[in-house]
Amino acid sequence: MLFFAVNVSAQQISTADLQVTGLTCSMCSNATQKSLETLGFISSVKPDLNKNIFVLTFKKDANVNLDLVRKKVQDAGFSVGGLTANFNFNDVKVDDKGQAVVNGNVYRFVNVKGKTLTGTVKASVVDKDFISGSAFKKQAATANSDAYASGTGVVNGKKTRIYHLVLS
Amino acid sequence: MLALMMIGAYTSVSAQELYVFTEPASNMPTKSIGVRITNEGMFNYPGYVSRTIPEVMIGFNKNLMMHAQAFLSDMDGKYRLEGGSLYAKYRFLSMDEAHSHFRASAFGRVSTSRRPTYTRDINLEGDNSGVQGGLIFTQLLHKLALSSTLGYAHAFENSDRQIAGMPQPKNMLSYSLSSGYLVLPVVYKDYKQPNFNVYLELLGKTDPGSGQSYLDIAPAVQMILNSTTRIDFGYRFQAAGNMDNRYTKNMYLLRAEFNFFNVLK
Repeated sequence: MLFFAVNVSAQQISTADLQVTGLTCSMCSNATQKSLETLGFISSVKPDLNKNIFVLTFKKDANVNLDLVRKKVQDAGFSVGGLTANFNFNDVKVDDKGQAVVNGNVYRFVNVKGKTLTGTVKASVVDKDFISGSAFKKQAATANSDAYASGTGVVNGKKTRIYHLVLS
Repeated sequence: MLALMMIGAYTSVSAQELYVFTEPASNMPTKSIGVRITNEGMFNYPGYVSRTIPEVMIGFNKNLMMHAQAFLSDMDGKYRLEGGSLYAKYRFLSMDEAHSHFRASAFGRVSTSRRPTYTRDINLEGDNSGVQGGLIFTQLLHKLALSSTLGYAHAFENSDRQIAGMPQPKNMLSYSLSSGYLVLPVVYKDYKQPNFNVYLELLGKTDPGSGQSYLDIAPAVQMILNSTTRIDFGYRFQAAGNMDNRYTKNMYLLRAEFNFFNVLK
């Protein structure tokens, strides 16, 4: 029981590399940075202005919402071209369909099935608006998840956000 | 057109779309405010005249933004407030890829001016009262950022201030093609580094009633300081055309813009 409690409060996503597309000037990057900094669960945003990548560090034990990260980039007028995050998994079981439920967050792995994941796991979000439009179309053609097109599905009788991940 | 293509082909740096004489299809960030002060002037009006345009811009959400402008000039004698304008832009299409994007927006403008009319030309940024609607398409293709604007303006009747014997403006078709590129920095270090951008725009108008047209070539330079402040300097030369007493002919433009990101709740 104690172990379970520790597991729940453990930080789930520690850092992420966020690739933003369409940034053509430092003013655009600055606007994106300022938009991201309004999120309470982010502790720091470090830009690579030449590669248009923002390295996000999340607050310890904070509930990280990747959809809000995407929304803040879109609010600034740009798009997410890629998001690769470091997930801290503790004995997370990925079922035969590639699905894992961690602290209420539902993940579906595109390239992992029937495996237990432990430690820091690097994975990219491949849902709509987390990759380019053309990459999403390509992925959708081969995705074997019924939740891929909408990003939501029914889990335990409830409509739930399902993030689709590709393990690096 | 060829010149614009050449710039695109030979530059080894990024493209830019913060155009000086036109607006890109892209919008300003959500919940941000921009403040501009623009000075435009002509040296042969026949003498020197200038117009000052204070302007506030607001980004309501990722797709909708608005500008409010006031116009002050000495074109009819003493410097005075001559009118104002509201401009709204809605982005309805975004196709973003890693190194390219295509965006499309629709815009509308309503303007008022107490200047008398004495030409068929219509300029809703100071000289006429009227409405305008149009479309903007912006394409970023690796190093080349091209933007095209198509607009249609209708001038309100101005019988009170109509000068006898002068033409009455009715409608005006406007079109433009803009290109810009980033010269400096070659390698980014931080947000404090100044950016230096160069632009070349083609600005045209046609009066559908008379068939009269003109086309301007407008080069401009731009500095971005501290990733928040923008300084523009440009000049538009008439390259071709036959519209009598047209507005904004051979005119310079000097502008400072200050951006305040995420200030609205």
